[in-house]
Amino acid sequence: MSGTVIVTGAASGMGRAIAERLKDAGHAVAGLDLQVAETAYSAIVDVSDAVSVRQAVAEAESELGPLAGAVSAAGHYQEIPFGEIDDATWRRMLKVHLGGFRNVAAAVLPKLIEQRQGSIVVISSELAIGGGGGDAHYAAAKGAQLGLMRSLAAEYAHTGVRVNAIAPGPTDTPLLAADSRWREPAYLATLPSGRLATATEVARCAEFLIDGPEFVCGEVLNLNSGAVI
Amino acid sequence: MTEQYLSGKRALVTGAGQGMGTCHARALAARGAFVVCADRTITPSLNELAAEINGTASGFDVCDADAARAAASPEATGPIDVLVLNHAYMSMGDFLDYDEDDWWRVVETNLTGTRNVLHAVLPGMPEGSRIVVISSEWGITGWPEATAYAASKSGLVSLVKTLARELAPRRIAVNALAPGVISTPQLQVDASAAGVPLEEMIDRYASEIPARRVGQPEEVAQAVALLADPTLGAMTGQTIQINGAALRCRV
Repeated sequence: MSGTVIVTGAASGMGRAIAERLKDAGHAVAGLDLQVAETAYSAIVDVSDAVSVRQAVAEAESELGPLAGAVSAAGHYQEIPFGEIDDATWRRMLKVHLGGFRNVAAAVLPKLIEQRQGSIVVISSELAIGGGGGDAHYAAAKGAQLGLMRSLAAEYAHTGVRVNAIAPGPTDTPLLAADSRWREPAYLATLPSGRLATATEVARCAEFLIDGPEFVCGEVLNLNSGAVI
Repeated sequence: MTEQYLSGKRALVTGAGQGMGTCHARALAARGAFVVCADRTITPSLNELAAEINGTASGFDVCDADAARAAASPEATGPIDVLVLNHAYMSMGDFLDYDEDDWWRVVETNLTGTRNVLHAVLPGMPEGSRIVVISSEWGITGWPEATAYAASKSGLVSLVKTLARELAPRRIAVNALAPGVISTPQLQVDASAAGVPLEEMIDRYASEIPARRVGQPEEVAQAVALLADPTLGAMTGQTIQINGAALRCRV
């Protein structure tokens, strides 16, 4: 069903690729980001702020038309040893990733339930599945997204609304630093796919979850170059 | 019109004669692939399907390794870019009383049959090809009185993980789908076994699924088409569950 899709983090990286793909598939895309997104509707929003997210979603719907769903793609990454993650850094990670997903889901759910259809997608991470060292706050927040996703899926499946996740491995986006350990040839050689995932592939999966079969619900698409099998 | 991203590609679908397999063949053809529709025997309906989608019909028993090697060889079919291993045999029975021949027939068809077809097709597969294996929710959860079926289907998940690693140098992505309860002819078999009308059987299943319905074969076929996408090379060794949020099972 074509309609308005909210995409958080739509100004760059995966969010931007998702916004472009959904636009090509016939959706009106509303981008919520800290920067201006090149989408039919764009709002400067910190996704950790529930009130701003709710207001932007309402405004996007009145400008672009009925909601078809949402993709929670906003996020940031930091590598810090666990012992050095201070309270503010820990909380910020949770507020953006878990809180951002919660806020956008809460903002779109009432309309989707009323329409008895719609799709919500969260971009989690392979680190939520396989874990790793050096980014405990990120892995914890990404894992929490999956717990929330499965709960929402179970709670709302009977309404016709579905909730799913994509768990990308290291992906070639601006979020992955130029000197990241995951860009090193020695690491890439360990991957069955032999390369990083791309934002285009994440967007392909997001389109599948937004427009695809409604019996896919509560599921995680593991797009991780075979890093975790 | 559906995006023609399989244009110029050649696909082979086993178990194409009915249920989900027919839908997979149609879904791949709709995206531009030439489809070899394989089943145990060439029936009129298999021929009709092949004609409908401008593909071809192929009849061989996946359990017969020699027959599979001959019929699914690159010489017989041309090089296959997308292999969908969908064939299955299912029976149920108390573990201790299970007829031994029947128990092994399930395992031989689902697991060894898959290996046989892979042996035939793999030598001719171009770099960057796609393999999609149809496992089952029961291969993840296990199920009472389905020991052979569940073991064979979970064996397929392990086979997929292993081949994803082994075929990595050829950039062949290997993934599985684990459908939950899907509306196929099997539901009529289940209904007859339970001694209830089909409608009641479907209601019973639906009541246990959070989405409150059973799945449609076309929905599984859409996922097959996703995994057949040549641009999606970073997904390999994975299993996608299609079960209406029946979450009591995980890969």
